[in-house]
Amino acid sequence: MDFGFSEREELLRKSVRELAEAEITDSMIETMEETGKFPMEVIQPLAKMGVTGVITPQEYGGVGLGYMARMIALEEVGRVSAAVSMGLQVHHMACAAIQDFGSDELKEKYLPPLARGETMGVVAVTEPSGGSDVMGMQSRADLKGDKWILNGRKCFITNSHISDDWVVVTKTGDGPKDFSAFIVDKDMPGAKVGREEHKLGLRGANTGELVFDNCEIPAGNLLGPEGGGLSIAMKTISETGRSGMAGVALGVLNACLEEAAKFACERELYGKPISALQAIQFHLADIYSELEICKLLCYRASWMKDQGMRCDTENAIAKNSTCESAAKCARWAIEVHGSYGIMNEFKVQRLLRDATVTIPSGGTAEIGRIVISRAALAPYKKKK
Amino acid sequence: MKRVIVCLKPVPDPKNWDLLKMDPKTKTLIRDGIPSAINPLDKHALEAALQVKDAFGAEVVILSMAPPFVAPVLREALAMGADRAVLLSDRVFAGSDTLATARVLAEGVRNIGAFDLICCGNYTVDGSTAQVPSQVAELLSVPNVMHVSQMELSPEQGVLITQEIERGYARLEGKPPLLLSFIKEANKPRYVSFLEMLEAEKREIATWSNQDLGLDESLIGLGGSPTKMADLLLRKKEREGVRLVGSPEEIAQQLADKMYQLGIL
Amino acid sequence: MAGAVNAQEVWVVAEQRGGVLHDVGLELLGKARQLVGQTGGRVTALLLGHEVEGLIDRLLSHGADRVFVADDSRLDPYRMMPYLSVLDAACRAHDPDVVLLGSSSMGVELAPRLAARLETGLSAHCIDLQLDDDGKLLQMVPGWGGGVVATIKCPDHRPQMATVMPGVMKKSGGYVGAEEVVTLVVPDDLDTSGPTVLEVCTGDPEGMPLEQAEVVVAGGWGIGGKDGWQLLEELASLLGGAVGATRPPLDEGWAEEGQMIGQSGKTVRPRFYIGAGISGVMHHVVGMDEADFVVAINTDPNAPLFEVSDLAIVEDYRAILPPLIEEIKQRRG
Repeated sequence: MDFGFSEREELLRKSVRELAEAEITDSMIETMEETGKFPMEVIQPLAKMGVTGVITPQEYGGVGLGYMARMIALEEVGRVSAAVSMGLQVHHMACAAIQDFGSDELKEKYLPPLARGETMGVVAVTEPSGGSDVMGMQSRADLKGDKWILNGRKCFITNSHISDDWVVVTKTGDGPKDFSAFIVDKDMPGAKVGREEHKLGLRGANTGELVFDNCEIPAGNLLGPEGGGLSIAMKTISETGRSGMAGVALGVLNACLEEAAKFACERELYGKPISALQAIQFHLADIYSELEICKLLCYRASWMKDQGMRCDTENAIAKNSTCESAAKCARWAIEVHGSYGIMNEFKVQRLLRDATVTIPSGGTAEIGRIVISRAALAPYKKKK
Repeated sequence: MKRVIVCLKPVPDPKNWDLLKMDPKTKTLIRDGIPSAINPLDKHALEAALQVKDAFGAEVVILSMAPPFVAPVLREALAMGADRAVLLSDRVFAGSDTLATARVLAEGVRNIGAFDLICCGNYTVDGSTAQVPSQVAELLSVPNVMHVSQMELSPEQGVLITQEIERGYARLEGKPPLLLSFIKEANKPRYVSFLEMLEAEKREIATWSNQDLGLDESLIGLGGSPTKMADLLLRKKEREGVRLVGSPEEIAQQLADKMYQLGIL
Repeated sequence: MAGAVNAQEVWVVAEQRGGVLHDVGLELLGKARQLVGQTGGRVTALLLGHEVEGLIDRLLSHGADRVFVADDSRLDPYRMMPYLSVLDAACRAHDPDVVLLGSSSMGVELAPRLAARLETGLSAHCIDLQLDDDGKLLQMVPGWGGGVVATIKCPDHRPQMATVMPGVMKKSGGYVGAEEVVTLVVPDDLDTSGPTVLEVCTGDPEGMPLEQAEVVVAGGWGIGGKDGWQLLEELASLLGGAVGATRPPLDEGWAEEGQMIGQSGKTVRPRFYIGAGISGVMHHVVGMDEADFVVAINTDPNAPLFEVSDLAIVEDYRAILPPLIEEIKQRRG
């Protein structure tokens, strides 16, 4: 077991950090907080660096560096802005779905622009009828000649209003597992964006509705086999979605430690920096430990994915733990700040709000625990 | 434009300078544990060189005089787009002042071969003398221009240079070979791209010792440096809050004096 | 270049551009006088350019015993290689002990090249010059962004060269010395290689965006009104800097959103920050405490801003800024 990062990974981390610090400015973040709009201008430098195409193979215009590289990139972007990191992670989900399940034509058509950040992607599963209750979805597509006609709505979809290519999972038959996935271009007839949500946190990660009103999808845009929609949704969410959320939250965790430690060294009470007080030291020790724990979980799951190992359980653990931990540590970081912590002028309050929003995003923690429980019980299940 | 050499200095990362300690006995700074980074202005020099590469396909060679552990810093320069790096490293170079350093770098340039441009940062954040670029140019007998805020290559392969001077600028036109040192206003250095980073792993970092350069040891290192350090004092960077006293006019005078001294006026 | 005697012949390269002497040359003459005062030596100023006779008197009255003048059309405007040739020839012919230049844009590029040509030592941006017991020059230089001060010597090579920051040494007129003026012959085969000068452009500085400004003039609640705010704007404009504010001026409408410095505003790292009528609460301070040099003006001696300032002025800004603005205009001439 080698717990170190390679020189390549260190350079990758350093480079993403420099870009994130320079390009995601305080005033950009302020605008995101006020308007909730995603800063599209940040996509170009990120794409040029290779972040949008980090998991896409080079033959399709990406960099093909894999999931550890992606984790590091999401962490470093998330450290500056969890909202931007969230937009990237959902974009990667679309890339992963198309890479893993697309025909050669679909891959050649959609992956290069996605990898190069010329188009943005999204994976749309959740509906008003439920996200956790995937099989209860109400949207439906039926084949009419050489087109699928899709009706329904998807809600709480990140990147809804900024993406060009939507990987949509919908019911395509009457059996309980008859779901299929499609790539829908935003310009296809009958495809629309609906309302935009205003969130407590991750403000700037655009979240909204996709509306399909007799949307015409060419038959060639079926992603994977007909009836394969559920496994596409499950695989993409469990391997790319949860690890992406973990990366976003890991970035927030890093920021919690930095903000708390910096403040503790600057703020003076009783004639000394508060970092001299044991109570503050304990908070910092706890945040530090949480960060280290979550790093190990996140990096291990990423490593496993790059090795081609099955890692849905490890990703679920990483996601649940890191998001929960980020919210916990943001709370502690606020306490370290005293009353300054609840002032909007200070960064820590945003960390708490961002961390809180990661918890139900990309899959609820409860569903995550169901996934984990299967692994816990599997060795002991009695055969009937 | 066939070859541009970039003189690059790995320096202790300025972000970590408050961790610097001084050994009171040897009067040397303890740099252990402080990561190295590309001297900030050298990044602008490298960016200028890479733009020449983009436009004319010139080879960009990084040249550094430094201890061997700086390879990751050179790799980062390669990952920005430089073609190869030459590291001049030898115990006998240690303790060199600017002239001795310039002798080593100049010999490194001679060993690399013909060049059209040498690009340097105007000064380093640690030494801050701004002397090495001019001295390297002198030893190589090529003209040099400092404080370069803009460089354009004209169609006839002339080099149009904008040089920042007090309260303004000068526009110059030169012909290669030339040595130019850049200020931060010159350009926005590109970020490392992942694809370039992967390519860079295959690029060469050659390490040359004095065996490869063959310099007379009396001209390099501590012994070859005409300037010697007699003392070193740590200055606490604390704000003194010196109170200006006197009539308002007197205070205004003192403030104006200070502003002049700081180069603000 | 081995000179056995120390600090007898002290030279100052008196820089001029467009017929105007840079003050640093005069300041260096003042320092040179101090140095030779200890050794009984002689101060020589070097003046290069074309039709510059009119500047000689000022050099003499500011401390030069002797002025070497190289007057030639090829020496105007300043170009590196011709200046280097003339200075190099003069040094070789006359063997000075010390050669001082200002750390101006010209001095910074010329001095190192001259030192390399003469194979001697040079120290940069000196903040002080002294003599040791043997009369050798001690050069105090800052390093590590100002975190250390090193004392440099050039024991075995001549001339001992140093560049000095403008404003560090003091100039003073009224000196009457030997008043010797020597014409340096500029050879026909003067090295005129190197880039040609297409144009030289100088003028008053323009305004800058806040985050990039090298000079920030900031105001707070204590400014009191729009008319007071105009003083800040005038000062900032004179210095080619930008105006910053804390929240109260924003709320009062004297300043705009983009000018706010602090936790929820901008972070600035200018070379020079002057805060007037600002108390200095943490929200604001975190936005400016990395400025290189901080001046605080406030009538309240307990204002927290004084704790993070380099210079403290406990006065009403209305009494300080107008004479300051006048002083700056006068110095600009």
